[in-house]
Amino acid sequence: MTFLRAAWSEVVGLFVADWVQSGVIVVILAAGWLLVSRVGTRALVVLVLLLAAQLVWFARAEARRLLSSGPL
Amino acid sequence: MGTAAALISLTVLVLFFGQLIVTRVPESSLKLLVGTLLLLFGLRWLHKAVLRSAGVVALHDEDRAYRQTVSELRGAGARQDWVGFVLALKGVFLEGLEVVFIVLAVGGTGRGMPVAIAGGLFAMVVVAAAGVVVRKPLARVPENTLKYAVGVALASLGTFWAAEGMGASWPLDFVSILGLAAVYFAASRLAIFMIRRPVAA
Repeated sequence: MTFLRAAWSEVVGLFVADWVQSGVIVVILAAGWLLVSRVGTRALVVLVLLLAAQLVWFARAEARRLLSSGPL
Repeated sequence: MGTAAALISLTVLVLFFGQLIVTRVPESSLKLLVGTLLLLFGLRWLHKAVLRSAGVVALHDEDRAYRQTVSELRGAGARQDWVGFVLALKGVFLEGLEVVFIVLAVGGTGRGMPVAIAGGLFAMVVVAAAGVVVRKPLARVPENTLKYAVGVALASLGTFWAAEGMGASWPLDFVSILGLAAVYFAASRLAIFMIRRPVAA
């Protein structure tokens, strides 16, 4: 049972490292879907920029957190 | 035995889910679902690669990981066979799951499952052969660079398919994936630059 639980958490871990970041990505995709249905292809620019921006934001936030919690 | 059990389980997964996906799931829903998962998967790799490239997280050392596992196994004593079985099963199955996911994603969304399976098997044979022939030099392959590139590629493919699943059509079709890769690469370089700057100051 412990092995199965560990395996399941590893499988989830393939897609999710930080639940907040994953939630933000899903919200961006949902907003992109809504925008695409209203404005069409032009919405793709916003979608891609938001996805790229969240990468920068969360990487920087985690780096700050790791650096403030002590040496490597 | 552990490796064999893991390979059999992975084969069953590909055959079962591959058939199910190709025959039952509408293409747009599949693209949206697989695109989203591929995006989450790719961005997770890219996120890690950014932190490693910026020097915040230590680079992954395969050689050290191998030595650590061997020393753990030696300390297992009488339970060695069982521990070895579980370690091989866990390692091959979990690492293989990533390959299975990519094969199902690429094969299912492109409706080219046999080609995707053949590609996955070919890659497995090449990697196994390379592992046997050039084990030592392989330990020196810049793993983070490879993961960085794969992260950019998977995030780009994921974005492309997720948007197609939403009903959008990309200008220049598949060529747009190159543009997406350029955007993700630029964003990751920006993140590395912004993380490194305060450290150096």
